[in-house]
Amino acid sequence: MRLTVFNGSPRNKKSNSKILIEEFLKGYHRVCDTPVDIHYLANIKETTSHVEAFRQSEIAIIIFPLYTDCMPGIVKNFFEEIAKLDYSSPKRVGFIVQSGFPEAVHSTYVERYLQKLALRLNFEYLGTIIKGGVEGIQVMPPRMTKKLFDKFQKLGEYFAENEKFSAQIQEQLRKPLRMSATTRLLFNILRLVGLTNLYWNSNLKKNNAYKNRFDKPYAESTLN
Amino acid sequence: MKITILNGDVSQDESAFSNYINRLAEALQQENTVNMFRLNKMNLHYCTGCWSCWWKTPGRCPTNDDAEQIYRSVVSSDLVIFASPLIAGFTSAVLKKITDRFVALTHPYIKLFDGECHHQNRYDKNPDIALVLEKEADTDNEDLEIVNDIYKRFALNLHSNLRFTKIVDHDKIEDIVHATHSI
Repeated sequence: MRLTVFNGSPRNKKSNSKILIEEFLKGYHRVCDTPVDIHYLANIKETTSHVEAFRQSEIAIIIFPLYTDCMPGIVKNFFEEIAKLDYSSPKRVGFIVQSGFPEAVHSTYVERYLQKLALRLNFEYLGTIIKGGVEGIQVMPPRMTKKLFDKFQKLGEYFAENEKFSAQIQEQLRKPLRMSATTRLLFNILRLVGLTNLYWNSNLKKNNAYKNRFDKPYAESTLN
Repeated sequence: MKITILNGDVSQDESAFSNYINRLAEALQQENTVNMFRLNKMNLHYCTGCWSCWWKTPGRCPTNDDAEQIYRSVVSSDLVIFASPLIAGFTSAVLKKITDRFVALTHPYIKLFDGECHHQNRYDKNPDIALVLEKEADTDNEDLEIVNDIYKRFALNLHSNLRFTKIVDHDKIEDIVHATHSI
């Protein structure tokens, strides 16, 4: 089996998608030493070579962050190009959708699209891994990301052994689908004391932009 | 009413789709102010996920292209019509490119709405949205439901509403004008 990965994050090599795939591949390479090519769709000028790599792949994983409730424009561009191809051999495709929202529900709508896309293009659909709460993992201390990274390593290990996603890990990763009543209560308490926006506020302050955080630069009355 | 039409046609010429959208814009102009943008004729770049619009220059996208005129039109509109042929089962990448850039119109702060996390609005009120789609040869009802549901979620994140979804050639222009004026 030769796996090819397509990273559809607009952030390219600085993406959370890259971090998650690296953890996946750590597990994968414990089992399978075949090299895995990774293509970054943000390098939009290389679309022709990305499409050719996809055409030649046997098993592909496409990972992207949720953008406005769907795949980013660069990923849609890629989908339009691969939809034009004639496939001489069967292809197996899986997807990983990650988002900053803590709940998986936001990504379940694009999941339906991805399943239909695979059907439309006659691919074997390997399923969609959904993981929320990913924003900020680049600045979290290792103790906070260990559980998540362990799961992605196990997901990769299972994939190398079985050529598909583990249904059990898939189920675990998409929890919570929605916030429980207790979590919602806790969230609202934390919000009242200003703790839910710590990540954004610290970055706004670092950039000396905190006082402008509610700016409306494109409103009609704004003079430029 | 002020209306922005984002035309996500991918053809370089005047296609049947764009002709339809042009006629729709003309019909709407009789009683409304309409700004129409033919996206693939503009200098527009993909969102790079830099988050500058959230934490460096709040609300302002640093990409130097034609998006600013779209942003200004959108934030002052009552309705934004997302018009696109369906390609591989979804609206075009040309349209999705500018849709991604709408992140600059939202605020990074999160609040619970109906028990789900959503971003706060940056502007006092975001426009409602509508869809005008052209089917592809293999479009079925499931495809239309998927697209419709994703745009409903997008509207939810804008704290606005998906007002209607119409299909080019199936729905008459006067039906879309009527649906618009019924908002």
